[in-house]
Amino acid sequence: MTKRRFIVEPRGLVSWKVRLGVPVASVLAAFIVAGIFLFLTGVNPIEVYSEMLDAAFGSPRGISETLISATPLILTGVAAAIAFKMLVWNIGGEGQFILGAIVASGVAIWLGDGVPSILMIPIVIVAGGLGGAMWASIAAIPRVYLGTNEIITTLMLNFIALALMNFLIFGSSSPWRDPEVSTFPQGRPIPESARIPEIFFRLTGGIFIAIALAVFAWYLIGKTRWGFAVRIVGDSSDTARYAGIGVARKILTVFLLSGAYAGFAGGLFVAGPVGALDPRSLDLGLGFTGIIVAALAGLHLIAIIPVAILMGALNNAGPSLQAIGVPTATVTMLQGAILIFAVAGEFFINNRIRRPDIEPDEESEVTPVLEEVEPA
Amino acid sequence: MTQAPTDTLAVELCGVDKSFYGVKANDNVDFKLAQGEVHALLGENGAGKSTLCSILAGLYRPDAGDVFFEGEEVTFKNPKEALASGVGMVYQHFRLVSNLTVAENFALGHPDTGVRLNQKEIHKAARELGEKYDLPIDPAARIWQLSVGEQQRVEILKLLYRNVKILILDEPTAVLTPQEGQALFKTMRQMAAEGRSVIFVSHKLDEVKQVSDRVTVLRNGKTVGGVATADADTRELARMMVGRDLVLPTRDTVEDFGDVMLSVKDLHVPGDRGLEAVRGMSFDIREGEVIGIAGVSGNGQRELAYGLVGLRKPSAGSVVLDGADITNNTVLEHIDAHQGYVPQSRLGMGLAPGLTTDENLALKAYRSPPYSKGRRLVASAFRDEGDRIVDEYDIRGVRPGLPIRLLSGGNLQKALVAREIELEPKVLILRSPTRGLDVGATEQVRNLILKERARGVATLLISEDLDELLALSDRLLVIFEGEIVGEMPAEEATAERLGLLMSGQVEEASA
Repeated sequence: MTKRRFIVEPRGLVSWKVRLGVPVASVLAAFIVAGIFLFLTGVNPIEVYSEMLDAAFGSPRGISETLISATPLILTGVAAAIAFKMLVWNIGGEGQFILGAIVASGVAIWLGDGVPSILMIPIVIVAGGLGGAMWASIAAIPRVYLGTNEIITTLMLNFIALALMNFLIFGSSSPWRDPEVSTFPQGRPIPESARIPEIFFRLTGGIFIAIALAVFAWYLIGKTRWGFAVRIVGDSSDTARYAGIGVARKILTVFLLSGAYAGFAGGLFVAGPVGALDPRSLDLGLGFTGIIVAALAGLHLIAIIPVAILMGALNNAGPSLQAIGVPTATVTMLQGAILIFAVAGEFFINNRIRRPDIEPDEESEVTPVLEEVEPA
Repeated sequence: MTQAPTDTLAVELCGVDKSFYGVKANDNVDFKLAQGEVHALLGENGAGKSTLCSILAGLYRPDAGDVFFEGEEVTFKNPKEALASGVGMVYQHFRLVSNLTVAENFALGHPDTGVRLNQKEIHKAARELGEKYDLPIDPAARIWQLSVGEQQRVEILKLLYRNVKILILDEPTAVLTPQEGQALFKTMRQMAAEGRSVIFVSHKLDEVKQVSDRVTVLRNGKTVGGVATADADTRELARMMVGRDLVLPTRDTVEDFGDVMLSVKDLHVPGDRGLEAVRGMSFDIREGEVIGIAGVSGNGQRELAYGLVGLRKPSAGSVVLDGADITNNTVLEHIDAHQGYVPQSRLGMGLAPGLTTDENLALKAYRSPPYSKGRRLVASAFRDEGDRIVDEYDIRGVRPGLPIRLLSGGNLQKALVAREIELEPKVLILRSPTRGLDVGATEQVRNLILKERARGVATLLISEDLDELLALSDRLLVIFEGEIVGEMPAEEATAERLGLLMSGQVEEASA
């Protein structure tokens, strides 16, 4: 008999239970595997995890720091997600984030003290968005009109952006550099009027701005005419062309919007806890972590918010581990493990495994596609 | 027929099950193939013919059941193992490397192919095989330079080069003119006479009747029966295949049509490689008239459709719709001018596979009320309109949130045609609208087309299915290499006459 033990087949309609359950299980699995790893290195994983939980959520100050870390991740996550939905592989969130910070701090320093906060803060955030969009356009325009590979261009632009920031602070006496400090070069503090007020320990109102921007992106893509066209393009560009949608322009706009969101994150970070173009605070891979956030959230623009908070908690918990003799890099390992399990989990969201002699339950049965897809 | 097949069984399948997506494509199928026979596998689309063949050819493994090859139980792990045992299959979509030459495709995967390629030897073998089986081929030609019929020849010769004992041809005549089909039948008989077994998959009764020794009929994944072709009568076979007596709808004759709705003059449209694919076509379609364009695939049908709907800019000529010149208009302007278009590739172009049915039904109309108010979408309108259309057009399997790609082919096509009809078209351009559909869905789609015709829509039906063309068209044009080589009222058209024109052998003066 050629009976097979298991059959793997695509699920039809994926229920919300599966959609939610699989990522949660992925995260748990990542913690367990990382726990085994910790155990093998002679550390008690339970102790490590409770230390992390305590650092991230155990005190008001901890919660405040976690949300501070989450704020830019929400926006870089949205930046990655809206691009990926369109099959635009913008992995330049890092560079667009840095450019957002450069332009936002530059505009704040240039405007100086004279402008009231109520105008200054929005100006600085928008400037950040423009900076990010501008940086994205360097990759987006050749991608749309010449067909260059945006993975390579956006990746390379990340390094250029980082080098530019380092040059502005360490390599020149630019307006971004603090002229009063002569020992170790630092960014010039932006005017107080450009700083978002703190509301809860060091946490600023920036978290609400980030959440509002994420909800806005969700509304834009899901609930507007423009967003519907974008979703059609993201699903099939040939179909979009057939439906009379200007595909090139839609891709370009989304690419720039993605850059703008990463730029918003840079602007918010400068106007929030950092207060200057500070390379040490900005070169933390927040743009790259945004990609992990987007992937783990299944590119769902609202799910990005809790996922960003989880990632922010991990980032925030890292330094506290040193106190119990565990390297901060444990957090990086955990984030990596979560990403791997999340990507692998995708498979279980889209497929189910069953025994051949057990028929699938009535509810999840779908009409099959027995027709082969023909080439266009 | 010519020679009685021997009684030795080449292949036997017992109780084979195979499921996809939880639905049985093969359900307890039994199949016996004798040595030296041409065995037809008859059934509707989706009856499980291709699945059965793919199991034999090692592409799929059965969920349950046994496969015996020359009396011994076997499990082919992959097509390579099957091929090594002498079972080869020509798939509907050819598996050739288009940048390589014919000879190089012969050598690919051949066990004797070493590090170096002995081009000369393969060329000689290919040419000899071609002559022997009356399938002449140029071994040095690259695959992309060949017509579909020639590519099929390469596929068959490639298997003969591997000296297969069992040759499976999956709907081989679908891409051929009637005359090319006849030539293929001769080759099939020749192969059977040599003691090879041929499995011939088809849903066309007359072909099955003509070429096969035995017929096995499949319906809904189950074997309905196996008979000697000589003993079977066509009507009996049809009933076995469909499960009921069925007459597909055809048009009624109309004497007077309305005014000219679409007028195409000297249209030229570039092809993919820069050469002109449509080379000066002219025709008029009047209100309530269906013009059929017959031709072998790849003779400019796609480019003609693209040129007419704005997906590709014509290089010369004019298209006038209801008095307005729309030659250089954008796709959106064509849609706004009430031109409907059903493309050949449903999931590749006509529908957004990952979006829901409701969203797909709004794919063109979403820009205006009720689907949107200003810049905002109205979710309730998507739902209500979606429900209404799904109901009215009998689209089955729809559930909220379900991506449309999970519907069956017939329901996909009903959704696609429904959406175009809902736009109240003045002109409807259809490419192979019932291709790959089962009889029930074909009936429904044909009825929709005829209803639109009765409403006064000017329809252009571009198809490779002669039955469909003859059943629905008022007038037929034959396209060959981008030009109209013949034109006739449907009453004067026969498959033979169309076939000769389609192969480009005869040119009739345009009426």
